[in-house]
Amino acid sequence: MILLEHGNAIIQKTLSDKFEKPSALDVQFVDFDGVRYHMWTPEKKTGILLSMNIRCWDELAKYGAWDVLGKEYGAYLKPPAAAEPGYNVSLELDLEQAPDDPEARDALVKSFSLLRRHALAAPFVKAFQTQKQLDSLPDPTDGSAIPGGELMAIHYRDQEAIYVQASHDRVTVIFSTVFQEDTDRIFGKVFLREFVDARRLPTIQTAPQVLYSDRDPPPKIRDDPALPKAEDVGYVTFVLFPRHFTNPITAEATISHIQLFRDNLHYHIKCSKVYMHTRMRAGVAEFLKVLNRSKVEVAGEPVRKTVTGRTFSSR
Amino acid sequence: MAQNVPIIMDNGTGYSKIGFAGNSEPSFTFPTAIATRESAAAATSSAGSRGPALPSKPGHLASKRGIEDLDFFIGDEAIANSKTYSVQYPIRHGTIDNWDLMERYWEQSIFKYMKAEPEDHYFLLTEPPLNPPENRETTAEIFFESFNIAGLYIAVQAVLALAASWASNKVTDRTLTGTVVDSGDGVTHVIPVAEGYVIGSAIKHIPIAGRDISQFVQNLLRERGETTVIPPEDQMIIARTIKEDYSYVCQDIVKEFRKYDTDPATYFKRYEGQHSVTGRKYSVDVGYERFLAPEIFFNPEIYSSDFLTPLPEVVDGVIQQSPIDVRRGLYKNIVLSGGSTMFEHFGQRLKRDLKQIVDSRILASESASGSHLKSSGMEVNVISHKRQRHAVWFGGSLLASLPEFYQSCHTKAQYEEIGPSICRRYAIFGSAT
Repeated sequence: MILLEHGNAIIQKTLSDKFEKPSALDVQFVDFDGVRYHMWTPEKKTGILLSMNIRCWDELAKYGAWDVLGKEYGAYLKPPAAAEPGYNVSLELDLEQAPDDPEARDALVKSFSLLRRHALAAPFVKAFQTQKQLDSLPDPTDGSAIPGGELMAIHYRDQEAIYVQASHDRVTVIFSTVFQEDTDRIFGKVFLREFVDARRLPTIQTAPQVLYSDRDPPPKIRDDPALPKAEDVGYVTFVLFPRHFTNPITAEATISHIQLFRDNLHYHIKCSKVYMHTRMRAGVAEFLKVLNRSKVEVAGEPVRKTVTGRTFSSR
Repeated sequence: MAQNVPIIMDNGTGYSKIGFAGNSEPSFTFPTAIATRESAAAATSSAGSRGPALPSKPGHLASKRGIEDLDFFIGDEAIANSKTYSVQYPIRHGTIDNWDLMERYWEQSIFKYMKAEPEDHYFLLTEPPLNPPENRETTAEIFFESFNIAGLYIAVQAVLALAASWASNKVTDRTLTGTVVDSGDGVTHVIPVAEGYVIGSAIKHIPIAGRDISQFVQNLLRERGETTVIPPEDQMIIARTIKEDYSYVCQDIVKEFRKYDTDPATYFKRYEGQHSVTGRKYSVDVGYERFLAPEIFFNPEIYSSDFLTPLPEVVDGVIQQSPIDVRRGLYKNIVLSGGSTMFEHFGQRLKRDLKQIVDSRILASESASGSHLKSSGMEVNVISHKRQRHAVWFGGSLLASLPEFYQSCHTKAQYEEIGPSICRRYAIFGSAT
């Protein structure tokens, strides 16, 4: 598995199970970046309520998350005021009224499992729209700077944030990421540098441009007061050009991939560590073999036996 | 940061149960199998001493290196891909056998299935009784160094099974003293636990478990000639289904036979099946195997010729081998755990047979004393509850939702201060006494 999956495996599995055999249910689980879910059957066995709590919900709502979710889930989405207390969004599904066609069911399950992705997609969708608007405006003739869109900050973790800004010809996405572990920081640095280098390969020339800097925040976001001032922060900037989001299918894929960037980064740091450990274990086993071979065999010493015929051997 | 719910992982020989604390069922139950590209022969011959596949072109640029180490599947997907990948089971007889594979197995179960960031969560892992402390250390190393988890608690499965029994309404005091009868697919253990500590010297294993019962049902069907209609590849599965859906434990085997013979219409059942490939329908008679299947626990001679001690006798022997001051507690709290203890009336039968053994011994010692001493009697209790199938996981979920859990865990800071040896010991918590 090179890239993490976008959907939540627990939602997918639980919902498909319940389609087969409805029964009472009450589970709580999580997703990346501190997202909490609660899936349960409040009244009857066939009425499933799925609620999500996401840290940066206020920001997302400001950037139009309700519209995005409304478009995706339609009647399943409960109105903002009716969301379950303690959670931000609630979806309600009645299994009896769900489509019978297996393909439609699979699509429904899939779209439910993507709840987190759709909520986080709002600022990106908005930025893509703003870019289109700015592009259609005529260039200022008096030589002043071309206006840019609003800088949207999404504080999706305690110390980390995504910044999205649209300009007339591009959309810039900046991630700030914190490495709590020293080892992780080094792995992360190497990884991100390679990430920047990898784009030079001819096969991925069309990928978005990536810039990486540690410690110094990029000029665009330097004014954000919430920015953590620490040594262990890295900044990754993606520059998305219209070719990455004019086609709606490409745009959806772009959003899905860029959201999970941080999680993928940390996942791969962990994978590299696991790989290193595997190599280390193999190395130790090899060295031990060599060491054992160098042991001097004591020859000629008489074998001492006890009365019962047992021998003592010293190592 | 707000404390996130702990993650409970119970990695068994056959199946792994993983989920979040506070729930009553694990979120995922799948085989502890990992499918990799490496050839199975190469990996097993050296049992992990051979190194991983080296990159074809050495160098430190990712673009030049392969991604073979990411190309693997776990759980059900591993089984599904068994044609093109080689499937291996990193856990043998309850203990971890291949750490390389296990580390990758954990990696994918956290990131792909639980979708959790290990930094934000406490973990509760399980281990079999008599697990060497070195294994605990290696586990702690992997979890703290590779995954940077917030905190770790490693619990013994038998203790968690005891904790799971607190959910039963028959249990009044939350004690961690008792005998655990844990019967899974491969082997059955009888484990005495005193105040949260396993009495290692008295543990007994019984080589009869779920797989043997299925095998026995299949044998009975074959002897009766029912198997002619069942497609050969489905025979084991159908035997298992019959075992799970129709079997129960009877109280008296002779009476039960008579009941079946006088009134076959009510007791004999029919199993309706369908050929998995051709779709042809067929039906199988389900008869005496309904009560004979679980009977092999109580009369093993009907199935095996080398293991002949009935389960109640084994339980009694285990308790008699334990220190004398805890025996009363062990008799009083016999807890069932695992899928093969799910038969109807299993607990009642075990209790009755055990009570007979205990009472006859008390009677014998009373008469040996010349009837001068009177015993106050021994209380024998077998506790069955609804969560028996995933009792170990459920016990973990229960303990991890207690506030004491966080104090009993070893945190990352403590680990870095002291080192992996910190994980050799864990405080027992949660019991009311």
